[in-house]
Amino acid sequence: MGLGKYIARRAIYMVPLIIGISIVAFLVMYAAGDPIQLATAGNPSITEAQRNALRVYYGLNDPIPVQYVRWLDHFVHGDFGNSLYGGRPVNAIISTLFWETIKLQIVAIIPAFLIALPAGIYSALKQRSATDYSITSIAIFGISAPVFWIGITLILVFSFHLGWFPSAGAHGAPTLWTVFGIQNYTLDELIHLVLPGAVLTLAGLAYNVRLLRAGMLDVLRQDYIMAARASGISERKVLYKYALKNAITPLITLLGVSIGFMIAGAPITETVFSWPGLGRAYVTATLRLDFPLIMGITMIITIMILVANLITDMAYAWIDPRITIE
Amino acid sequence: MVSLRRNKNSEKTKRRGASQWAVAWRRFKKHKSGLFGLGMVIVLLAVAVLNSVIAPYPARPAPDAFKPLYEGEAAQPPSWKHPFGTTVMGTDVYSEVIHGSVYTVYVAVAVTLITMLVAISVGIVSGYMSKYVDEGLMRITEIFLVFPSLLFILVFARLYQLRNPEPFWNIAGIEIPAGLTMIIVILSVFSWASYARVIRGEVLRMKEAEYIQAARGLGANSRWIMLRHVFPNVLPQIIVLATLTMASAVLLEAAVSFLGFGDPNTITWGRLMEEGLQDLSTVWWVEMFPGLAVFLSVLAFNLVGDGLSDALNPRLRE
Repeated sequence: MGLGKYIARRAIYMVPLIIGISIVAFLVMYAAGDPIQLATAGNPSITEAQRNALRVYYGLNDPIPVQYVRWLDHFVHGDFGNSLYGGRPVNAIISTLFWETIKLQIVAIIPAFLIALPAGIYSALKQRSATDYSITSIAIFGISAPVFWIGITLILVFSFHLGWFPSAGAHGAPTLWTVFGIQNYTLDELIHLVLPGAVLTLAGLAYNVRLLRAGMLDVLRQDYIMAARASGISERKVLYKYALKNAITPLITLLGVSIGFMIAGAPITETVFSWPGLGRAYVTATLRLDFPLIMGITMIITIMILVANLITDMAYAWIDPRITIE
Repeated sequence: MVSLRRNKNSEKTKRRGASQWAVAWRRFKKHKSGLFGLGMVIVLLAVAVLNSVIAPYPARPAPDAFKPLYEGEAAQPPSWKHPFGTTVMGTDVYSEVIHGSVYTVYVAVAVTLITMLVAISVGIVSGYMSKYVDEGLMRITEIFLVFPSLLFILVFARLYQLRNPEPFWNIAGIEIPAGLTMIIVILSVFSWASYARVIRGEVLRMKEAEYIQAARGLGANSRWIMLRHVFPNVLPQIIVLATLTMASAVLLEAAVSFLGFGDPNTITWGRLMEEGLQDLSTVWWVEMFPGLAVFLSVLAFNLVGDGLSDALNPRLRE
């Protein structure tokens, strides 16, 4: 089977998953209670007639399956409906937030891999050395510390105490942040990325190092490594030619898992740093039960995770010729 | 020959071979960080059990919890009297962290029990049963794996919050916080899938082992083999996964509470941090100490988990 066909099959495979998740999300929200009742509970001056008008406007009087099919129809046409608060189209809300989230994720995911890859592999190759102990200790601290606690600590030290970096938001408002006495839009954007980016990188890095080290150790225990050693091939060649080459494929799968882990954690970091992204919008939308927006963000984040998985599978198939034969 | 005879003569001094658990314990004892983690877990348990005895102030909503406020000591930085400082509302952070430990232990234990029960059942049945059962169970597991679980947990927690249920269930004289229990159930629903996959993998690997084939050849049925042969052999793996579940459960519950989706009737560590967040610039200690408590507890469980995985997993031995 060719690579193109393989990718197509994987992409088609995503469709039932997306539909399944949307059904569950839809059922959870719309079967849990009347969204209008919940959303207007805090407003004493609203009349029942106004509530009914809202229900008709959002089509909430129809049976749940009818509502779901209508939602699905709109979703397939790229329309998530209107927010219950202010009536702005969900698409417009998401499109402004989407790039902020992507920006923050990319800033974190790339360094988290680039540092974790050599660290994890080195740690496994030199198992039980001093370096290995330091790397694994830092990693276990990293996976144990709550992300929001690290974020708060960084804000206290680098923002409140030292005043080096802004503590909230993605852009300086009303005035741009001054970097080395210069006020520039790009510099302002970059400096806002530093603290949240650092927190996400640290969390992802610790997670990746542990995964990579375990994956690499697993390869080193294989019989063919022992066979290579037994045939008298130099240790250097065994490690760099036999072990590393075979370790790359399982490692790539692990990296796919970790991208999903990082994207899914977006609500926490974005809330701590008041980052105007999908994660924080999700938290606010959930707190005030803005159902169309919740559905929209859930689907976007699900698709992001699935696409990340697909890309890793593609890389997997591209590197390992055995995969495509299946 | 000589050794044979000696064995025969010294029947009384014959030592029983060390059981696999004794061997594992011996290995675990050599694992310094694992022992350190175990020590921290014991401290956490002791604090949770003794909470009212060692805490200088009672838990909210008791009026005495706000005593520092009446003494004019609200929003004070750490001092000898208030080692972790006081909150803006005038409660003692040190006491609140101690009271919160009970909930932490509850979350860790309960989530782990439910998660493991589901994961073990799905994993063993899926790995051992026919291809169709396996296929079906694994498809369901896969859906749970790609679920953006934190998002769903938040929605569920929020919908439950709005139902205004009774705050506590009184079971046999013990007040069980209803909201927190719901969060425990929600966390478990979204945690079992990856563990089920690991256990299934172990079972599949084991299924082809000769002793299982032999048992089947001797006429043992599936249930017997699953309970008597498969389960005891995946047990070490399960114990390791269980400790790691405790760590992730504590972390996740703290995050859910921190984001404002926790049980409003229980003052967990995450909730303490949520309450203090808006006054971060003035009362940093309200954030730091509960966060440190979460960090140390999670670290303790992770260290024990790492130690156990070295001690119990024969494949990792060199």
